[in-house]
Amino acid sequence: MEGFVMEDKHENLSLYVVDELSEQEREEFENHLRTCIHCQQELDFLQETWQALSYDVNEVDVPVSLKSEVMNSIFEEDEIPLKAQVKETKKNSLVERIKVVFTKHFSPLSACVTAFLAIGLIVLFFNNLELKDTITALEKDTFEPTQQIVTTFTLKGKHSAASANGTAYLIQEGSDTSLVVALNHMPSTKNDEVYQVWLLKDGNRQNAGTLRPDQNGNGFISYRLPMDYSFDNIGITLEPNPHNIQPKGQKVMGTS
Amino acid sequence: VESKTDEELMELIVQNHRYALEELYDRYVKLVYSFSLKMTKGDTEKTKVIVQHVFLRLWTTKRTYSSAQGKFANWLLTITRNIAIDLIRKEQKHKGSIQLELDEWRQMKDQQTEDVLQQVSRNLLKQQIQEAKLHLSEPQQRLIDLLYWEGFSLSEIAEIEQEPLGTIKSRLHQTLKKLRNYFKEENGGVRHGR
Repeated sequence: MEGFVMEDKHENLSLYVVDELSEQEREEFENHLRTCIHCQQELDFLQETWQALSYDVNEVDVPVSLKSEVMNSIFEEDEIPLKAQVKETKKNSLVERIKVVFTKHFSPLSACVTAFLAIGLIVLFFNNLELKDTITALEKDTFEPTQQIVTTFTLKGKHSAASANGTAYLIQEGSDTSLVVALNHMPSTKNDEVYQVWLLKDGNRQNAGTLRPDQNGNGFISYRLPMDYSFDNIGITLEPNPHNIQPKGQKVMGTS
Repeated sequence: VESKTDEELMELIVQNHRYALEELYDRYVKLVYSFSLKMTKGDTEKTKVIVQHVFLRLWTTKRTYSSAQGKFANWLLTITRNIAIDLIRKEQKHKGSIQLELDEWRQMKDQQTEDVLQQVSRNLLKQQIQEAKLHLSEPQQRLIDLLYWEGFSLSEIAEIEQEPLGTIKSRLHQTLKKLRNYFKEENGGVRHGR
């Protein structure tokens, strides 16, 4: 019996080394470790053995360009908050500064050219405004300043929804990941019909919500992904009714 | 800079000296890169991402490394392995914070035995571990590969092997013990003297 208990502790020794004990088991084992010289010595050897596994590697040459890639990524990331700060403090005097720059540095001719270009820019800007309004309207509801688009998917319609198209964005905020799907030119739904969004991974489907398009055929849905969930493709089906766990209707849109 | 110890360089990194990070990069990138390449089974793109995360981690780690915690290379590879597993196994989004530091420090062995290790060249150790692995049975070798190099958990390995978790646990213990005995034989004379 005594021997069996000891063997049990010894197994814990290995589990401790490879970090496979639960919090509680680990605490218990660490308590035991304090009083058991045998285990302390054994732990030393086993940890050394576990770490020695790292030597089982054939050294290869490193691409020369990697250093600048790594350093740039580290130090650019580091500087972003700084730049943002600078912008904030200068914001107030921006208009004044533009005036000063204009009067100081521009000849009448270049001022004309600049003004012309500026007008062109403004026209372009207003052309895009409608689109931007839609996007910011969407963003206001679901976006926070630290959110970042990780992946963009293009969605194409087929069959009854051949006219439809759309875009899906995978957005990361801290450790949370959300999927935002915006669709256009969707055929309207009848009765209980809904469009249902599915996330596909290795033949498995995850329900990411249902939607009905508005009278202009625009549809929108946002979905917070479960922790550590990933997927390969997005599919949209036209379902006879909502609340399905598996699709029953036809697939009418997808990423591929 | 070249004459500074790893420990001194880590202190300089805490004080935001970029050149210290670059020096550590020059010293260890080959090791980190080769190790990561094995973990990704030769995927150079993933390997680059891992290397990037490892050095970013060094840069953002506001904690002085102390040689009392063990050999720097071992610590670095423990970090590398954790980051690689996170990336490969997607157990965490690689953008998310990787908070394994405490475990990494705990996994470090004490310095006394480290001094012994430091006297032996890396290549010799590589030869030793490769020879030691030859003494393992096939399931034991597979266990080490799945656990150490592919980052599967023991319960996942039990599923893969279609064996009870208890069997895998005792196999792990037998395997480490076997490897340890082999090392003991190789380095025993030195070690008993400490």
